[in-house]
Amino acid sequence: MVDFARVQKELQECNRDFEVSGIKVMPKSDANLAHLLGTIPGPLGTPYEGGSFKIDITLPDGYPFEPPKMQFATKVWHPNISSQSGAICLDILKDQWSPALTLKTALLSVQALLSAPEPDDPQDAVVAQQYLRDYPTFMGTARYWTEAFAMTSSLGVEDKVLKLVEMGFPEALVRSTLVSVDGDENMALEKLCSG
Amino acid sequence: MGNSLVAAKEKHNLKRQSTFGDDNESSWDSAVMGWNPHGKWHAVASWTWDAQDETCGICRMAFDGCCPDCKLPGDDCPLIWGACNHAFHLHCILKWVNSQTPQAHCPMCRREWQFKG
Ligand SMILES: [Zn+2]
Ligand SMILES: [Zn+2]
Ligand SMILES: [Zn+2]
Repeated sequence: MVDFARVQKELQECNRDFEVSGIKVMPKSDANLAHLLGTIPGPLGTPYEGGSFKIDITLPDGYPFEPPKMQFATKVWHPNISSQSGAICLDILKDQWSPALTLKTALLSVQALLSAPEPDDPQDAVVAQQYLRDYPTFMGTARYWTEAFAMTSSLGVEDKVLKLVEMGFPEALVRSTLVSVDGDENMALEKLCSG
Repeated sequence: MGNSLVAAKEKHNLKRQSTFGDDNESSWDSAVMGWNPHGKWHAVASWTWDAQDETCGICRMAFDGCCPDCKLPGDDCPLIWGACNHAFHLHCILKWVNSQTPQAHCPMCRREWQFKG
């Protein structure tokens, strides 16, 4: 059984510090605290700068005695993150997990991984090869992916509402859904479609 | 197998983060007396200088409260110290130790976990 009292505290703590860390964790629905959505800002001075990266978080029954399952919901080009599935290769999410870590410290570690790729221990072999053999192309691709997939908030809220209403969803539902996914139109669409 | 990043940063953050608000010294002082009839003064002293906050690093409940599985703080939900001087609710650390084979490490400092004799 997930320790939900602890999860509640973690959410409060993390979101209280949002101004400083830029890291946010929200429940995907009010009914279920085992499915969460994390957001990390791309680190400055990296090709991920300016991007806002969403991370799907699933808490296993044994949390916090077992690590949270995290994977990128935003596509990202990085040697230690699968460009296909968003799976993350990071030891603290595996055998180096400690119950004293939190969702926030885990997300901080993921953010640090964006700053410091480890191509010798890749999750995505194609990206790692490119990183090692053709660094300028790697940087270009990583930047392009950030601009294409992690900077979706360029549309204004009203534009997003309009776009989704035109697809046939009721306006009130569109608005509440957009709020729940932090304004991300793609996630909102996904959520609306899944009912 | 993986990437050990920000270990130092994490530790720093853990220290900073493990306070959840309004527990103060006087409240846990009385809790210490309440839950420990044997008066382990040395243990209490080492806990304070070790700068661990007054919450259990596993469940994040105050030490003067109880773990998530218990209803009442006190003798039924005691604290326990490791050889490394980190303290946890007994029930919390037992769950962790039992889930880690063959050797568990302290959740706070990652040293091999040994119950303090
Ligand atoms: Zn505890
Ligand atoms: Zn207990
Ligand atoms: Zn320790």
